[in-house]
Amino acid sequence: MIAYKFLRADGGSVFTGFAWPLPPAGPGAWVEAPLDPCRSGIHACRPGDLPYWAGRVLYEIELDGEVREEPRKVLATRGRLVRRVSAWDELRDAYTRMCADRAHELVAAADPAFAHWDSVVEPSLPEGPALLGFVAARIAEEIEGRAAAYEAERARQAEWLTERLGLGAQL
Amino acid sequence: MTHARTQPSIDTRAADEAELLARLRDGDERAFEMLVDRHYGTMLAVARGYVKSRAVAEEVVQEAWLGVLKGLDRFEGRSSLRTWIIRIVANIAQTRGAREARSVPLSSLAPEGEEAAVDPDRFRGRDDAFPGHWRAYPSDWRALPEHALLGRETLALVMAAVSELPPAQRQVIVLRDISGLSSEEVCEALDISGGNQRVLLHRARSRVRSALEAHVDG
Amino acid sequence: MAERGLHVTCSEVVELVTEYLERALPAEEATRFEEHLNFCDGCIVYVEQIRATVGTVGRLHEDDVPPHAKEQLMAAFRDWRRSP
Repeated sequence: MIAYKFLRADGGSVFTGFAWPLPPAGPGAWVEAPLDPCRSGIHACRPGDLPYWAGRVLYEIELDGEVREEPRKVLATRGRLVRRVSAWDELRDAYTRMCADRAHELVAAADPAFAHWDSVVEPSLPEGPALLGFVAARIAEEIEGRAAAYEAERARQAEWLTERLGLGAQL
Repeated sequence: MTHARTQPSIDTRAADEAELLARLRDGDERAFEMLVDRHYGTMLAVARGYVKSRAVAEEVVQEAWLGVLKGLDRFEGRSSLRTWIIRIVANIAQTRGAREARSVPLSSLAPEGEEAAVDPDRFRGRDDAFPGHWRAYPSDWRALPEHALLGRETLALVMAAVSELPPAQRQVIVLRDISGLSSEEVCEALDISGGNQRVLLHRARSRVRSALEAHVDG
Repeated sequence: MAERGLHVTCSEVVELVTEYLERALPAEEATRFEEHLNFCDGCIVYVEQIRATVGTVGRLHEDDVPPHAKEQLMAAFRDWRRSP
C-alpha cells in the first residue's frame, strides 16, 4: 500500500527520531518494525490524514507486511520510503497561509463573541502548517459548536493538499 | 547519592544473579559483599519510603539483610533476586513505619488527592480562546549549552529535589529512574498497582522538573 | 481528555506525559497525544524537559554502604555460613 510520511528536516521520525533510509535515487531500504499492543510499528498517513501530521518534509512510503488502518493513521510492520514529495516543499507556506486565511474568514463571518479567537492566527504563522491547520479547524469547531465542524475543516485541508500535491490515492 | 552507574541488560543481570546465588550458597564471602554493594542503596531508598529517619532506615536494611540470609537457601528464583530482596526490606520497613505512624506528626504524611504537574495559571482559561493551551511556552532545554544540565550545581539541586519528595514518590522515582527497575519490578517489589506506581512516578518527575526549571530558567 | 474527546490540550498533556512515555496510554489516546505534539511546540519542549529531568535524576546514585554496616553484614554472613 502506498501512503505518506512526514519526517523532520534531517530525515528522522518526528516522535522517535528514527533515522529513515532516504531514497536519493530509487526507493530507500525496507525498515521492519513489529506491531505490538503498544501500537509501535511504522506509522504513515493516507491523504485524508495529512493535515493532522503536517511536518517539515513529506515522503511517499510503501507499506507491506501486516497493515492496520486506524482512524487517523496507518500502521504497518514493513515500510520503505519511495520518493520525496518535493511539491510539499513549495506548497508548505501556501498551505499555512490558506489555513490562516480560513481562520480569519471563519471568525469574520461569526458572532462577534468569537472575535478573540482570531488573535492567535498571525502570531502562529512562524510555527507552520501543523499549527495553523489545527487553529483553523479548532476555530471552525468552536464557532459551530460541534466536533463535526473540526473534522469537516480538516477534510477541506486534506482535499486542498491532495489536489495540489498530485497524490494518486483517493481520500 | 553520588554518580550514576550504567545499568546492565536484563539477560546479563539474570546470568549474574544465577552465578551470584550459586556462589553465595557455596559460602563465597566476596559474592555476598558484591550482593550488598549492589543492593544496599536501593534497599535504603525503599526503606526511606516507609520510615521517618535515615537512621531507622539503616536499621531496617540491616534487619532485611538478615532476612535475606535466612531465606537464601529457600529462594526459588520465581522472581529476580533483586525483587525478592526489595520485597523483604519493603515488608520490614512497612511494619516499622506503621508502628512509627502513631508518633509521626500529621503534617509529615504525604497529602493525597490532586496534585497539578504544572501551575494551572500557565494555561489559557475557560473563557479564553484555545482554553487549556500554554499561555507562554516553556523554554527549550535542548537549546542550552551541553553542560548546563550536567554541572555539579544542577546535580545537587536535583538530589535535593528528590530527597524532598513525599516518601512514596521518592521511593518510586529512585527505584525507576536511579536504580533502573522496570515498572513491573517496582510494582511487584512494592506490591502496588501499575496505575498507582505511574501516578507516583508522574508526580515525582513533575516536581523534580519544576525544581529544575526554576533553576535553569532562573 | 477534552470534553468532546477530540482533542488533548496542553494542560492535559502535562498530566498524560508519564503515561505516554511509559507506553501505557490506550492507542486512541496516544494518537491524540501525538497529534497534539505534532503542532504544539510548547508541549514538545515540555516532554523534552521531562526526558531531561529523567536523565538528570538518572545520574544520581544510590547511597553507598556505610562501613560499619558492611562490617556487621559480613560478620552476619560468616555466622550464617557456619551454621548447620
